[in-house]
Amino acid sequence: MMAFYFAQLVEIFPFFLKGLWMTSKIAFISLVSCTLIGLVLGIFRSSNSIILRYLVGVYVAFVRGTPFVVQIFIIFFIFPEWGIQLEAFPAALLAMAIMGSAFICEIVAGGIAAIPKGQWEAAASSGLTNLQQLRLVVIPQAMKIILPPLVGQYVLLIKDTSVVSVIGVMDLTRVGWVTVVRIPEGLMVFTLVGALYFMISYPLILLSNYLEQRMAI
Amino acid sequence: MLADFNFRVIWEYMPLFLTGVRATAFIAAVSITLALITGILACACRISGIKALKYPAIAYIELIRSTPLLVQIYFLYFGLPTLGLRIPELQTGILALMLNSGAYIAEIIRAGINSVDEGHIEAGISSGLNYVQRMRFIILPQALGVTIPPLLGQNIVLVKDSALLSLISVVELTRSGQTMTSERFMPAEAFLTVAFFYMCIYFCLKAFADWSQRKLIFREVY
Amino acid sequence: MIEFKNVNKWFGKLHVLKDINLEIPKGEVLVICGPSGSGKSTLIRCINRLEPIQDGQIIVNKVPVHDKATNLTKLRADIGFVFQQFHLYPHMTVLENVMLAPVNVKKIAKSKAEKIAMEKLEQVGLTEKSGAHPAQLSGGQQQRVAIARGLAMSPEIMLFDEPTSALDPEMIGEVLDVMVNLVSEGMTMCVVTHEMGFAKKVANRVLFMDEGAIVETGTPNEFFDNPKTDRAANFISMILTH
Repeated sequence: MMAFYFAQLVEIFPFFLKGLWMTSKIAFISLVSCTLIGLVLGIFRSSNSIILRYLVGVYVAFVRGTPFVVQIFIIFFIFPEWGIQLEAFPAALLAMAIMGSAFICEIVAGGIAAIPKGQWEAAASSGLTNLQQLRLVVIPQAMKIILPPLVGQYVLLIKDTSVVSVIGVMDLTRVGWVTVVRIPEGLMVFTLVGALYFMISYPLILLSNYLEQRMAI
Repeated sequence: MLADFNFRVIWEYMPLFLTGVRATAFIAAVSITLALITGILACACRISGIKALKYPAIAYIELIRSTPLLVQIYFLYFGLPTLGLRIPELQTGILALMLNSGAYIAEIIRAGINSVDEGHIEAGISSGLNYVQRMRFIILPQALGVTIPPLLGQNIVLVKDSALLSLISVVELTRSGQTMTSERFMPAEAFLTVAFFYMCIYFCLKAFADWSQRKLIFREVY
Repeated sequence: MIEFKNVNKWFGKLHVLKDINLEIPKGEVLVICGPSGSGKSTLIRCINRLEPIQDGQIIVNKVPVHDKATNLTKLRADIGFVFQQFHLYPHMTVLENVMLAPVNVKKIAKSKAEKIAMEKLEQVGLTEKSGAHPAQLSGGQQQRVAIARGLAMSPEIMLFDEPTSALDPEMIGEVLDVMVNLVSEGMTMCVVTHEMGFAKKVANRVLFMDEGAIVETGTPNEFFDNPKTDRAANFISMILTH
């Protein structure tokens, strides 16, 4: 019986690779979009304007206070009610972008906050504008602090892509879910799925550990 | 959009949502307790010198951290029956949450223990304390202060993670939203209400976490 | 050149600057001293608006500092500030530290800014360290670079907030020497310091502050040898017992 199912698995393995490819695409696009948006939001979160800080704070609180799967349902189901038809794939990307950028925002804001006030003052005293102080003095120093937790967040985001399977995106998780209906060998199917996720996450985890160690020096 | 928001229907389904909140609270409470036990055991194995304990612990932790929770849930839900184990979905879900959070808690505790100043440990050794005594009097009390905030954070994460259990038909808050959606075709009302309840739980837990952090800092300043 | 008119400042409920009236003419070297918490650092930090004020006016070169319409960039370009903790930019070389403002504020071409920077580094005696990073320098060297950084914008006024307080004793001299040389070039300087030797040597006037108010002023000789108030006398005797 197991041998029969094993043979079937080997036969549909390419299907799994396609799922892996979809997961990788979503992960890559999300990492880039979340980093860019998160960087801007993190700067807003650190700004002198109370309104800006508060608005971003509310956004971050909503993202951090609700499960990702609920956010995906909201995005996927609400847009049609506003007349915008969203396909599963763009909805998934949008949901990832909204969720991931909130977490990266906090990491960036934390990095900026860690830069001593004296650095801001020294730059300001020479006549540099707020934007120049940020761009030339603060952000370059903050980057070193931000990098380790940022890479850690990337690992989390890659794993979070599995949740978009609930709206029908044919990613690695959904391939497993669909397969297990036809080939009721849950253990084998999801071991394979897990192994493939492990393959793409573990190198990043090692990188994150390495960066954390380097920062501690 | 908020103008056509059907509050009447939400009120009609309120018992369902409240059942969901109760179920989620129950699942979270049970899971975090079991996860704490799992985490402490796993951590003990992880930092022990005995290879037969250490390497399986490392494998367990790294596997959990490198794979998505949803995949772990499906693994148990679809995989356990093939081993002949027919466990109800609620227990399967709690098992998945326990194993998942257990690994993260093990790492949190390990980080807490490692954070204790080397100097304090040396002072203990110099006074003649053995390993167990050092653990009991020097390391664990100090590690506690560093460990409790991230543990409370993991608690919050676990509440959000429990939402995934809705996908294996467990009765909880997100499932209430799915039920209302399938019965009334009002996903906006359903899931925004669900989100609202999660936010309430989140703010309560966060307030508790912030409060306890202030209390801890107070205690450290002798 | 610098004028304080009835300036008052509060940090919350704490009244940190009490009715300050002060005039610093061009070319004057003013030393401000006093016990910690007296408001002396706060006072000079108000001059380039690192700190806001709630009452009164500060006017630099006929420009009201705390006015909303004032061009802060232009104002600060004319004032050099040296911090107690130096605050050099750790991710840049010494040369880049000194060049940053001329390139980005005055929009001077990089090659020209480099020449200016090297001139200033020569003035403080650190040309050979231009390629080093701040972490590789001693405290005294870092502070001299900080002075060069302040001078790079060719300011009319240089402000020093306890420039030698964070330095090991053997390095205080090299920094004070640089500052003494500045005086001989006619720079308007306002220095918060306890270094009485420096004050006696080059200061035109000494200001003594206590609990947010100016208690006494006078020439260095008048002040250190014949203080008029008890508080000043007390303070001087305290710093003398080293």
